[in-house]
Amino acid sequence: MWVQAEVFLQTLVSGLLLGGLYALIGIGMTLILGVMKIINLTHGQLMMVAMYLAFWLFTLFGIDPYLSLLIVPPLMFAFGMGIQKFLVNPVLRVESILPHNQVILTVGIGMVLQNLATLFFTSDYRSIPVGYASTVWYLTDLWRDSPVELSFSLPWVVSFMLAVVITLMLWFFLAKTDTGKSIRATAQDRDAAMLMGVHVGWMRVITFGLGSALVAAAGCLFIPIYYLFPALGSQFTLIAFVITILGGLGSTIGAILGGLLLGVFESMTATYVGMGWAPAGRFVVFVAALVFLPGGVASLLKRRKLGK
Amino acid sequence: MRKHPGVLIFVLALCLGWAGMALAQNEIQLSIPLPLTGQQAKFGEIEQKAYMIAVEEINAKGGIKKKKLVLNFEDSQGKPEIARSIAEKLIDVNKQPIVFGEYSSSCSKAVAAVAEERKIPYVVVTGAADDITQQKYKYVYRICPSNAYYAVGLMSFLNEVVKPKSVAILYESSDFGTSGADDMEKQAAKAGMKVLLKEKYEKGAVDFKPVLSQVKAANPDVIYMVSYVMDAALLMRQIKELRIDSKLFAGGAAGFDIPEFVGNAKEAAEYVVTATLWSPQVSYPGAKDFAEKYKAKHGSYPSYHGAEAYAMTYLLKDVLERSASMKPADINKALKATKLMTAFGPIQFQDKDGFQNQNFMETLVRQVIKGEHQTIWPKKIASAGYLYPIPRWRDRK
Repeated sequence: MWVQAEVFLQTLVSGLLLGGLYALIGIGMTLILGVMKIINLTHGQLMMVAMYLAFWLFTLFGIDPYLSLLIVPPLMFAFGMGIQKFLVNPVLRVESILPHNQVILTVGIGMVLQNLATLFFTSDYRSIPVGYASTVWYLTDLWRDSPVELSFSLPWVVSFMLAVVITLMLWFFLAKTDTGKSIRATAQDRDAAMLMGVHVGWMRVITFGLGSALVAAAGCLFIPIYYLFPALGSQFTLIAFVITILGGLGSTIGAILGGLLLGVFESMTATYVGMGWAPAGRFVVFVAALVFLPGGVASLLKRRKLGK
Repeated sequence: MRKHPGVLIFVLALCLGWAGMALAQNEIQLSIPLPLTGQQAKFGEIEQKAYMIAVEEINAKGGIKKKKLVLNFEDSQGKPEIARSIAEKLIDVNKQPIVFGEYSSSCSKAVAAVAEERKIPYVVVTGAADDITQQKYKYVYRICPSNAYYAVGLMSFLNEVVKPKSVAILYESSDFGTSGADDMEKQAAKAGMKVLLKEKYEKGAVDFKPVLSQVKAANPDVIYMVSYVMDAALLMRQIKELRIDSKLFAGGAAGFDIPEFVGNAKEAAEYVVTATLWSPQVSYPGAKDFAEKYKAKHGSYPSYHGAEAYAMTYLLKDVLERSASMKPADINKALKATKLMTAFGPIQFQDKDGFQNQNFMETLVRQVIKGEHQTIWPKKIASAGYLYPIPRWRDRK
């Protein structure tokens, strides 16, 4: 019986740790979606670029990936602003038969990034050999008589904690600062915000930069526990997309909950159904969310608030 | 005036052509289909380099029957239909009496079909799918062991040293992973092991801990994993994290057999064994020389693909020297009677277990010892003694 409890608890822990990181990836996309009303389909590729930056910072200068959290996200913030200003904005102004050609543009940017990465860095698999990669804490080390053995990997836990800290910082930024409030205003009602004197075009640029910086941070947190190759982006674009739908389009809280839910769901599927089913499960969640919960987790939260 | 350069080039080409034909009297010109562009280009390149090293050696020692050996390469892009048309060209236009080469199983299959139809002997060098030499072909030979025999060495190591009663199989959901896992399941049943768990995963997965905690609960004697590249390292790292104390951790070549595995998994890679076909440390005559020569020239040790291509060139020399003439029928007779020791291992084509003209050989087992892959099995060509039993995770420093 204890054995089964151990399997369940370990699965839950893994799911939550993974979910925290997923949430950070999802938030960036959701933020851009809220303000821009477009799905940024190059999200995962931006993460890939950030991971390569972190990789080279480590290889050339020996900068720890956690330390590069101070360097890579600001760089990617500028990069994201550049994309918005020089690529997306001009397309917004063009009249076209396709209503959402900015979305198609993001797909194109993603492809370019991926192919450039293949060209410059080859399609070799790389990883950062950090010393603490397989350092682990065990429950039995802390509590000798524990009936179950749970393990907490150091890089996973640290990455999770940092993801939480970054999310809190984002919340503070959005809730308390002027710029943050303007971004939220733009997301809620673009025209009203414009009438109130918010520089909407500028907010868009900042938001895209912010989204890129967030996913860059996620990249830095992923590198100690994962590895790196040019085609890695699309997988994470997909995950971010599912989280965004699950969380409710454009809702930050929703994205956090959506990320955690998806992480736990994937882990549970892997344990109790089969690991080969995890990607399929992801799409079951995706479709189910679209059909039964079109507003995502966010709509549930809202409903309760109204009920009170 | 404008036409002059063209005419000049034409005349030059003619002259060169004649010169070439004059030279051809003292040359043996053969072409090899290989993937030199596309996804499999990396392996095509390794093989090409290995062929060239062998050709240089052979020509330095007087060539084949005092004729200089010249190998040309035709790019098949790893596509069976292109490989097939290359084979047709080599046989019908170039009148080549023997064909060999190609990398992947599907391309080798395509070439084999053409060769058998035209009654031209064809030697498969690296295509491992079982059915290539199960078609009752009379003109198709294969140097490399087929897929079903990759893990034979590992199984004999398990049976003689570890004697496990149960096994858990984790594999990537690709052709390679699935066939490897299925073969292992059959072999395990034959050896009387119980398969407690057979679980596949999508490559690129981030977190294996859920499935691994199930493995831990099942507590198998051996965990056998078939993974490409980096999944292998992630798996071992997370096994270490969960402190799963199986008697042995075994990999099915590929991801467990490359230097990146140790680099990425670090101390979690220690004591892990893996099946493989060849390693630079084997004691076959010429193996070390070849590996060192390749490393000096190209910067890294060759994989087993290189060794197979290298051995193929020496097989070619041996066969053409024994053959009564350059006619396909005579070469075929000579191939059938091959008994040759090469840097890749002994080559002899046999009909058994449903295979025809298949080279059966011992596959190897390598173990990570002090951060390096060492050949540990079979004992007579081992480069280091195996380390077994392995310490529990808790007791490792």
